[in-house]
Amino acid sequence: MDTHKYTPLGIGVLAVMAALFSLTSQAADPVKPAAPAATPAPAAQAPAGGGIANERAFPAIASGKWTGKRTADGQPDVSGHWSNTIANHNNFTDPQGGIPNDPAPPRRPLGPREERAPSRVSDPVSGEVPFQPWALAKVKEFQVGFHNPTEPRFVEPLARCAPGGIPKSFYWHGYEIAQYPGYIVFFFNSGTRIIHLDGKPHLAENIKLWNGDSRGHWEGNTLVVDVGNHNGKALFGRSGEFISENGKIQERYIFDNSNKRYNYVATFTDPSVYTRPFEVTIPARRWTADDKPNGWHFETERSNHPGKEVLLDRDERICAENNGGFGLGASRGRK
Amino acid sequence: MQTSLKHALPSDFLALSTKLIGLAAIAALFSFSLLSEAAEKLPRLANGKPDFSGIWQTTSAADYDLEPHSNRVDAPPGAGVVEGGTIPYLPKALAQKKENFAHRETDDPRIKGWTLGIPRGNYYPEPFQIFQRANDIKQVFQFGHSVRTIYTNGSLHQEDAPDYWLGDSRGKWEGDTLVVDVTNFNDRTWLDRAGNYHSDQLHVVERWAYIDSNTIAYKATIEDPQVYSRPWNLEVILHRHREKNFQLIEDYRYTLEYDQHYPPKPDSQ
Repeated sequence: MDTHKYTPLGIGVLAVMAALFSLTSQAADPVKPAAPAATPAPAAQAPAGGGIANERAFPAIASGKWTGKRTADGQPDVSGHWSNTIANHNNFTDPQGGIPNDPAPPRRPLGPREERAPSRVSDPVSGEVPFQPWALAKVKEFQVGFHNPTEPRFVEPLARCAPGGIPKSFYWHGYEIAQYPGYIVFFFNSGTRIIHLDGKPHLAENIKLWNGDSRGHWEGNTLVVDVGNHNGKALFGRSGEFISENGKIQERYIFDNSNKRYNYVATFTDPSVYTRPFEVTIPARRWTADDKPNGWHFETERSNHPGKEVLLDRDERICAENNGGFGLGASRGRK
Repeated sequence: MQTSLKHALPSDFLALSTKLIGLAAIAALFSFSLLSEAAEKLPRLANGKPDFSGIWQTTSAADYDLEPHSNRVDAPPGAGVVEGGTIPYLPKALAQKKENFAHRETDDPRIKGWTLGIPRGNYYPEPFQIFQRANDIKQVFQFGHSVRTIYTNGSLHQEDAPDYWLGDSRGKWEGDTLVVDVTNFNDRTWLDRAGNYHSDQLHVVERWAYIDSNTIAYKATIEDPQVYSRPWNLEVILHRHREKNFQLIEDYRYTLEYDQHYPPKPDSQ
């Protein structure tokens, strides 16, 4: 039997891991253009880069009534497969701008900033996280150290199998939303969030969690979630932005009545890290059995099924000591 | 009549005992109806199938050692949960099991926070939550927060599936019993912390059935021609967590080794 000895990871291993992670990201970023968005915004065009980055603009969605179908317990029925429409976690505030300070030249010239998707920071208008000076200095250090991680803090924790956390899970691969009486559950590529809709109180404050502790309720087309008990350890991406364990996150998931898109709009507050609260916006689109499986956005495959109905399988997502790739626990690939 | 009887002791006794008999009869009827109600009112989905949604945990000592064992430094005693007592290891595999037992403090995958696998996750002493729909059942294990999907949509095992930590699970209903066929395992999980183990040829057939609305009988048939001389069975009982506001608390414990490096802190701290 293959028993695995546990060894603390040395700095050299960290460097190799970071390099592998970077390679994986390129492999996961297909050269062929991704399937077009289900309801492209008028301004949406495929930007240079294609792949994951398939929109550079997206429509606002207003909070209001929900006119679509509902679950048996009365929730707007938004269950299914979803993924962000813009980019992965390379860069939080310039999502299609590549990893900050990347020594590898971009595969295509980036062009002017306004030709890429806007910052995920939608307020303030600068698009920058309003960091306190010490915190900004730490982010800048990370953006240098990331490319040659001489200290553990320069390794993105997701590369060590940590859960993606908030908000990164919303732009790290596609994910499934499932609804049950009293719950809405996000099955992410790396981590799971169980959102309680029954109004029970948050856990005691000294309990700190990668994905926080979530309490939600529906207001029309909008799922409103209060996140407490956050451990602040999941970075926002390879650009190193962060929140601390003192932070609070108020989320609004605003679903379009077409049920094909939603926008994640959240307010991040942390007086120990930021100078003011700020707002994050992440657009997402639905993927269905009519779409071809996609190795990044829509990691499903057709079930082995005697009937004519198209059923989908989704592999388990288990990551341990980086075995089997990032987020995928299978110990060998499909034959 | 009433006035005269009021002071007659025997009549009082008669009246009292009549009342008592009446009360007892009502109580008996009531408890009978409660019992039959419990039998009839197992939680069910809209499609009539038993609904196992909830947070579950065994009180057994199964995870310490599936086989009968006396107390020891790292385990409470246990009568064992294996039908017939012991696991029918092939001779070579028994030697490996003894090796595992000798090194259990370091080699148990649980120590590394790795996914416990199937069936171990179901009798590990941490809760798991079942989220159930007509087409699938998700198990979220608090330990590692790993997620297992049991497909109940009539789909079959994938023909080209890779090996999984939790296996490829396809469920069907036999009356009110959920029968799950699980294949495509990797060989990285153990069955308990005593070093009982399997190879990647493991095949598990589980049977889940309500005993009452808060108790599930969980049975598993374990087959692995590389390790055992014949299939064998284990059985544990799972209890519903009913504490007020009980919930899973994520336990991504494999991050404990490095999580002190995040997030950045001011230099003075």
